[in-house]
Amino acid sequence: MIIIVFIVMLEASVNAKYANVFLNATIETIKISIFSIAMGFAIGVVVGLGRISNNFLIKGISTVYVEILRGTPLIIQIFIIYFGTPQFGIQFDAFTAGTLALGLNSGAYQAEIIRGGIQSIPKGQMEAARSSGMSYLQAMRHVILPQGFRLIIPPITNEYVTVIKDSSLAYSIGAFEVTYWSLKIIAYDFQPFTTFLFAALIYFTLTFSTSTIMNMVERKFRIPGYMGAE
Amino acid sequence: MATPVIETRNIQKSFGDNKVLKGISMKVMPKEVIAIIGASGSGKSTFLRCMNRLNEPDGGDILFEGHSIMGKDIDIDLVRSQMTMVFQSFNLFMHLSAKRNISLPLRQVKKLKKEEADRLAMEALDKVGLTDKADAYPGEMSGGQQQRVAIARAFAMHPKVLLFDEPTSALDPQLIGEVLEVMKKLADMGMTMVVVTHEISFARDVADHVIFIDQGLILEEGPPKEMLINPKNERTRQFLKRVLQEENLPPLPQ
Repeated sequence: MIIIVFIVMLEASVNAKYANVFLNATIETIKISIFSIAMGFAIGVVVGLGRISNNFLIKGISTVYVEILRGTPLIIQIFIIYFGTPQFGIQFDAFTAGTLALGLNSGAYQAEIIRGGIQSIPKGQMEAARSSGMSYLQAMRHVILPQGFRLIIPPITNEYVTVIKDSSLAYSIGAFEVTYWSLKIIAYDFQPFTTFLFAALIYFTLTFSTSTIMNMVERKFRIPGYMGAE
Repeated sequence: MATPVIETRNIQKSFGDNKVLKGISMKVMPKEVIAIIGASGSGKSTFLRCMNRLNEPDGGDILFEGHSIMGKDIDIDLVRSQMTMVFQSFNLFMHLSAKRNISLPLRQVKKLKKEEADRLAMEALDKVGLTDKADAYPGEMSGGQQQRVAIARAFAMHPKVLLFDEPTSALDPQLIGEVLEVMKKLADMGMTMVVVTHEISFARDVADHVIFIDQGLILEEGPPKEMLINPKNERTRQFLKRVLQEENLPPLPQ
């Protein structure tokens, strides 16, 4: 504990003159993370439902999406979107390209988490809803998804933490986020140890806040007498 | 003669190569209580689930109040809301309180206002003697209480007929009584019911008509007094004997 405090103080003093730079970099990292998490969630809901669709085509497209985005390196996906698309006359700035790639990639993972959550709801829940006259969509919206949503909180927290850390890869195309600026500052100052440690501290603060918030969400929405509740 | 609430004609259903239902025809008249009995795997639950097309029959026809419900243009949700179902494993919505379990279909299907749905939910809970559990979640209730809430949820819709799929089979012996009591009360109120059950004494005391299904066919049917006490068919006799032994009940009196 004391060591950590010492390191933080040391770093703060070393990096004090770059406080503003780190602040802006952190904001950029947060923006990339939040946008790609949100985009990934939207994709995840659609593709996740697509994966359990009875429609052969929808199921096929969703499965291909997940397998490709999950089965290729994120950094290649970032490069394809940033360096590859100009060949077709589309040029994204680094921030947009990085966010797009991260969001598309996270969409595949979130889709699998959401699919798993929905599929772990006992079949009887859907049957009970349908047998009372509710439509498939009503049953999904009012019975399956609210329960699935609670189940996916732990695995999706994992995914959000991963996205925050993976946003560092956007440095490679020059997005002005924490890793990018750390490298720039080191180039000026040559203090790699403390600077990288400070960068790590920023990432940790973000990921730890995320998991803490998600824990609170999980507690708030727990179902009395059911799965994981006291 | 009145129109049957449900009429099935030659219902057939296979799961893969396994032909579970080999052509079952029956009628459910208004206010009638029908008990369907039979060994595990005889197809009785599948048959019940075919009635509201929770399982899609492969062949045959199902008429609800005289109209076929097998057509493509049938609003099956509307039909189901009028023949609601009670399940072996209760299937209460785990994330909702007892009251909201009942009010959710009322609001979604019948499009009732919240106050009206809540009022009807409390009324239904009162009928099953569980108003004090209105705000309890399924995970906080005993199996018997959960099943009573499930029954309240089913009849709060004011269905034309209630379908029961082995409603007491998942319950501890000491909890079966409270559920059967509620069902008996519904029967006394004139509710039309189709009950798949292992409870021979319930069939005897409450049912107007008993159907014995064996290997996907109706083997014998009739009023409970004849069917359960003097079965004509040898297999029915064997089945009854075995069930009564398992339940440790004395043979039914002549």
